[in-house]
Amino acid sequence: MGLLLLAAPAYAQQKTVTGKVTSEQGVPLAGVSVLIKGTTVATQSNVEGNYSIRAAVGQVLQFRSIGTAMAERTVGAPDVIDVQLRRVATSLDAVVVTALGQTTEQRALGTATQVVSGADIAETQRENFVNALQGRIAGVEVTSSSGVPGASSSITIRGVSSISSSNQPLMVIDGLPMDNKTLNTGVLASDAPGSTTAFSNRGVDFSNRASDINPEDIETVVVLKGPEASALYGIDAANGAIVITTKRGRFGMSGLEYSNSFRMENTRARPELQQVYGQTTAGGALSYFGAPYADGTVFYDNIDGFFQTAMTAKHNLSFSGATQDNRVGYRVAAGTTEQAGVIPGTRYSRVNLTGSTNAQVNSWLNADLSMVYSYDVNDQVYKGDGGPLLGLLLWPQTDDAKNYLTPAGTRRRITTLTAGAEIDNPYFNIEKNKINAKNNRLISNLGVRVTPFSWGSIRTNLGSDTYTNQNLLTRHPESAYGTSVNGILDQANDIVRNLNMQNVLNVNSRQLTGKLAISGLVGNSIQDNKSTTDAFKGQDFLDPNFVSVNNTNLRTNRSTTIQRRLLSAFGSVTLDYNKYLYLTVTGRNDWTSTIPIGENSFFYPSVSGSFIFSDAFPGISRFVNGKVRAAYAEVGKDARPYAYLPSLEFKATSFGGYGYGFTGPNLGLRPEFARSYELGSELNFLNDRLGLDVTVYRKQTKDQIVNDIRGSYATGYILFNLNGAVTRNQGLEVTLRGTPVLRAGGSWEIITNFEAARGKTLALPNALPESYVSDTWLFGNVRNGTAPGLSTRSLTGFFYLRNNQGKILIDPTSGLPIRSSVFIDGGYDRQPQWTSGITNNIKVGRFTFSTLFDIRRGGDVYNATEHYLTTRGLSTRTLDRDEPRVIDGVLRDGKENSPTPTPNNIVVVPAVNTGYYTLISEELFIEQDINWFRVRDVRLSYQLSGRPLDVLRARDASLWVSGSDLYLKTNYSGLDPIVNGNTAAVGGSGASGIDFGNFPMPRGINFGLKIGY
Amino acid sequence: MRKFSTALVIGAVAVTAASCDRFLDVNTNPNAPESVSANLYLPPMLHWMVTSPQFDGRFVGRYTQQWTFPGTSLSTWDRMGYDPGSDNGAQQWRDVYWSLGKNLVDMNAKAQAEERWDLLGVGQILKAWGWQVTTDLHGEIIVKQAIDASRFYFDYDTQEYAYQEVKRLLDSAIVLLQRTDGAVDQPFLARGDKIYGGDRTKWLKLAYGMRAIWANHFSNKSTYDPAAVIADVDQSFASNADDFLLTYPNTNNDDINFWGRTRNNLTTYRQTQFIVGLMSGTQFGGTVDPRMSRMLSPSPDGQYRGLDINVVGGGLAAAITPNNFFGYAGTGGAGLPGRYLFDDKAKVPLMTYSQLQFVKAEAALRAGNNALALAAYTEGVSKHIDFVNARNLDAGQTPTQITAAEKAAFLASPNIIPTAANLTLSHIMSQKVIAQFGWGHNEMWMDMRRYHYTDLDPVSGIKIFRGFTPPTTLHADNSGALVQRIRPRYNSEYVWNRDALDKIGGLATTYHTVPMWIITP
Repeated sequence: MGLLLLAAPAYAQQKTVTGKVTSEQGVPLAGVSVLIKGTTVATQSNVEGNYSIRAAVGQVLQFRSIGTAMAERTVGAPDVIDVQLRRVATSLDAVVVTALGQTTEQRALGTATQVVSGADIAETQRENFVNALQGRIAGVEVTSSSGVPGASSSITIRGVSSISSSNQPLMVIDGLPMDNKTLNTGVLASDAPGSTTAFSNRGVDFSNRASDINPEDIETVVVLKGPEASALYGIDAANGAIVITTKRGRFGMSGLEYSNSFRMENTRARPELQQVYGQTTAGGALSYFGAPYADGTVFYDNIDGFFQTAMTAKHNLSFSGATQDNRVGYRVAAGTTEQAGVIPGTRYSRVNLTGSTNAQVNSWLNADLSMVYSYDVNDQVYKGDGGPLLGLLLWPQTDDAKNYLTPAGTRRRITTLTAGAEIDNPYFNIEKNKINAKNNRLISNLGVRVTPFSWGSIRTNLGSDTYTNQNLLTRHPESAYGTSVNGILDQANDIVRNLNMQNVLNVNSRQLTGKLAISGLVGNSIQDNKSTTDAFKGQDFLDPNFVSVNNTNLRTNRSTTIQRRLLSAFGSVTLDYNKYLYLTVTGRNDWTSTIPIGENSFFYPSVSGSFIFSDAFPGISRFVNGKVRAAYAEVGKDARPYAYLPSLEFKATSFGGYGYGFTGPNLGLRPEFARSYELGSELNFLNDRLGLDVTVYRKQTKDQIVNDIRGSYATGYILFNLNGAVTRNQGLEVTLRGTPVLRAGGSWEIITNFEAARGKTLALPNALPESYVSDTWLFGNVRNGTAPGLSTRSLTGFFYLRNNQGKILIDPTSGLPIRSSVFIDGGYDRQPQWTSGITNNIKVGRFTFSTLFDIRRGGDVYNATEHYLTTRGLSTRTLDRDEPRVIDGVLRDGKENSPTPTPNNIVVVPAVNTGYYTLISEELFIEQDINWFRVRDVRLSYQLSGRPLDVLRARDASLWVSGSDLYLKTNYSGLDPIVNGNTAAVGGSGASGIDFGNFPMPRGINFGLKIGY
Repeated sequence: MRKFSTALVIGAVAVTAASCDRFLDVNTNPNAPESVSANLYLPPMLHWMVTSPQFDGRFVGRYTQQWTFPGTSLSTWDRMGYDPGSDNGAQQWRDVYWSLGKNLVDMNAKAQAEERWDLLGVGQILKAWGWQVTTDLHGEIIVKQAIDASRFYFDYDTQEYAYQEVKRLLDSAIVLLQRTDGAVDQPFLARGDKIYGGDRTKWLKLAYGMRAIWANHFSNKSTYDPAAVIADVDQSFASNADDFLLTYPNTNNDDINFWGRTRNNLTTYRQTQFIVGLMSGTQFGGTVDPRMSRMLSPSPDGQYRGLDINVVGGGLAAAITPNNFFGYAGTGGAGLPGRYLFDDKAKVPLMTYSQLQFVKAEAALRAGNNALALAAYTEGVSKHIDFVNARNLDAGQTPTQITAAEKAAFLASPNIIPTAANLTLSHIMSQKVIAQFGWGHNEMWMDMRRYHYTDLDPVSGIKIFRGFTPPTTLHADNSGALVQRIRPRYNSEYVWNRDALDKIGGLATTYHTVPMWIITP
């Protein structure tokens, strides 16, 4: 039977068909898949667009390339078939990657997906490809933690739905999950429970691991936005999925390609500081409430001198090609990135080695092996409280900050304050306090596709994603940060090994009746993810400058192992009625190790439909081509490992022993479920010159697991992981694509993405009043608390108390406002009203010019840096400190809620009553409705031709120049409204929009060349 | 064909599902066990039993004016206030409910099941200690519904109930610790008990001592029974060798003495006029206490002075401001030997022989037995001098030893040791302050509240606590009343158990000034 099945159809009159695939502008298209319809015989076009395939007369060749409309040509008498493919974004015939590495035509999709080409990503020259996605996809929000090289970036699709867990999408590379972890400081020995030296993800940052991927290796990125699209990927894709396809060797001629890029960066913004009042140390801290500066005082511009012009250099080299018979293809590539930061001492350097081979072993067996190796080294500086930015701002402007060491080489002190109370000199800080991370990573993926049946194929992928991540964090014994314990050093080595296997049986489309066809798949997957972090801490340095744990007196260590296993079975069936009505039903069952047995198996379905009305009613298609789609999905989600059983932990108190950790038991923990639906339409007008894609969605998560929610200590514990939160997300996404100009000599294309989204908390477990992630409570009394009725991105704080008429209550003894002593809502929401990204691509002859504008309206940002500067008397808003004033409000004298409250009449002079600034509410610094207009990317490239090419002996070459984040116009008073007070490791809404001592994104000019042989 | 392949896939899935449970059974936390041998729960609990009162001692010590926190304004605690929205002053709340909490429940259950009566007796002592300190600090506390992870609302119990429960637990401990049957096993207990080395007879003495202190708190009530207090003291510690002292091994931050310079918790605090006055001769007829120069810190000029808690910054010029408790100016002393309890390696007591002698003296005097009171009082002063000497040897601290001659001369002074007829409560309670200085915060504050801070001695007419004057400017929320209790832990109760707090009046602005049941008649 097997032999019978394996017998491939034979064609007697085969011949070799060749041809060239080009774009509408005549540019050769490489990597276009050329497939004989109904078979698995395929090839690809080479870098010059040429292809060659054996086929018989009468067979149909299909030309597919992601982002273009598929073309079909029947093999006839001629041996040469040249094809022009149309580049389309919303065209119904475009080929897109869907879940599990499947490809399908846009027309069959009942869900919203969007594609970005690898070239578009690589051309932005951003080291972390995640940062290149902002503005290119409706509904995707990328938040970079800071402008320091190697900063983590978090990505959310369709907003924040989880209150305490990750809201980041699943990353998939070549069909298998990819780790995108950002190190959580919770594994450091310094962060052991009860420790007084904990970071709590504040003041530090580590790269998110997706940044290990070299953007030059990416062929395409497909974003599956909602659970509807990603339901087949299962529980990790409840927040959507980012599906990366890496480049593969191209059949045909071998190619050598070299490209480079050089960038110069400087910092865009600097805060304004007052230069009227001098310093004082009254109050136990350095502040500027002292006497006015004498006339003729010499000021140093410490800030300008601090930042440097940073250089980045990248080199990429790749070889790709195939054997003569087109059966074995390969691509090997190497890339190096050496990035210096505008903050001295910061850098990010990465080496990537990538190899892939693809072999059509015989007519029924195809094997594909890829290995992606990366090694990166990252030096960052601290941010926030202990970081150099606040030190730079607070450093006396009458003192040259560059002079930071004593003749003996120790920290130069400028006050009589204690070493811990005097802020660190920024130069001293960047030299002595360091965050260093190294990462060694190998992602390998072996894919085998067997086509034993005429009606389908089996694809198996085996993959491992392993890395060793070494981190070293130093707080120098002389620095304010480390002096209390005479220096502290943390080392953490995280060894990660994630194993994945996935089997999919594809059933090819077959006609049930004349018009009705069915296709589908079934499969299963096994995941085993394990991370072991060995961490230790050394405290009390012997030699203050020798950075090694061997140089410390007090040493503690800690090991953290986290393992999670997941088994899944899934299936999908698509019914296709006459190529214009599609219905897809999927189901998936997951078994997870992190939920108590009995509740740990859960099934969830999705159903989606697509109706191409312009094909059903061909009369319309003269005016408009398009479809409507609708989808509904449920997706389950499990808990983090070890969430439901309390465990004992070693206690470092006298004579060791064991005691329970903070987190209590929850044997009734069950998976949470999201129910989501979306409706959308794709419309093409004017022969695809104008395209519109509109989606509305609504997702409700119930039984949501909230991690680390607090309870009364009388429980015997402090924190719990509980089901019971309900959140709702809804929004509108619009993509408008137009090609106003399309001629042989040039073209102009505009793509506009628009998103308006809302996320709301509807309920919390056990009717608790508030849920927050404690790491976000990083300055003053503001944190990312949410409560029923509030946005999932709200802020709670010790805000002003008000009477029943909304007037601020004033303390009758001090004349200052009274603040709540519990965290309350202040009506703040970090969720933007809408965001938009506008891409322009203009081609004139051999020149290509492209821009990406990023626009946001609304959303609040807490300018904690300004708040800090105000309490220290440095903000220009403290210049009127000698002016007597009466704060508008009513006295809390018992009559405040009566019809005739007593208006405040107490005069305060801030210069005398310093509480005016130090007890001031955070409310005054939460800047509401922050808008921005940002020129993310501008790029001009020129394709060489003729003589220059001959001189170079190159096949093709181009030169380009581009700008990154060149221009920002915003109503935000701080440095940059894109901030995260923590890192991407923090769950829930995190501390995005909390700006405390954060370095802004620099602006950069890039230039380089690309040359191919 | 289709059917066949479908069957194949379903079969494969079924096989997977069968071995599924074993494959998925990786959720046992590999980083920590879920249950351990009963004696391994003990060390952290013993650590906190001694150390947790010190955490709160930073604040209670300002109520009792052992020390003050000088700054640019008078601190809230120096004004008998509190810090809104803060967990300050509620470390014992944390440790009783969490550090002991379920650990103690589990340890006791195991001890009971394994018939380890000695360990169970220790467990009952811990439980009694927990309710005793939390009710003495906070008044109404959660007892009946406590340690139940399935609840999210906890009713408060009265202080009277908490006191009954302490008595019941101590009675039970006293019975258990006398047993030698079952699996009573000194080496097993010693594995977790580095204080008494598993010696149940010493634990038994501790239980009697705790019951004596418990009974003595009823001094304002008609049910007060001084004879019971005296009887329990007599069954308790027999000498300084019985003192319950925790050693700090100094292997990492957490096992360093909380008062040590390395922990940096007390560096900016300074001694008050009140505590200096008790030892400088000011309050005891000019007799200078030899312990002053071994317990307190001189100013840089060598003189002993205290700060005025009513004056911002303490009211002394920088040059004559007392050194920090480690004996150094400013924040000095890192890596250098300290003084008395204020050293990384100094041992800290939970209860001392000397302290119990003062309890006995008070009870005896109240019972009218002046001779017995004088004997206990004299023993208390004398053995505290020995205690000071012993502590200053714990880690080679800088103070010299009090010589036998110094001690004899001091004890010979009638200002310190009067005749039996002249002995007053003022002698006893003021000397008890010295004996508890730096560690006995809970009991010292209880004493002050029992005597309403400023009660006068019924015999001599001078203050029971000689030289103690409440702050002239009280915290705004006090509405003029002296502090009587600390609010329950903010992040436990004020955020997550407000309804229950409301029922006991805990949401009132003046809640911390509401007198507790135990000190009312």
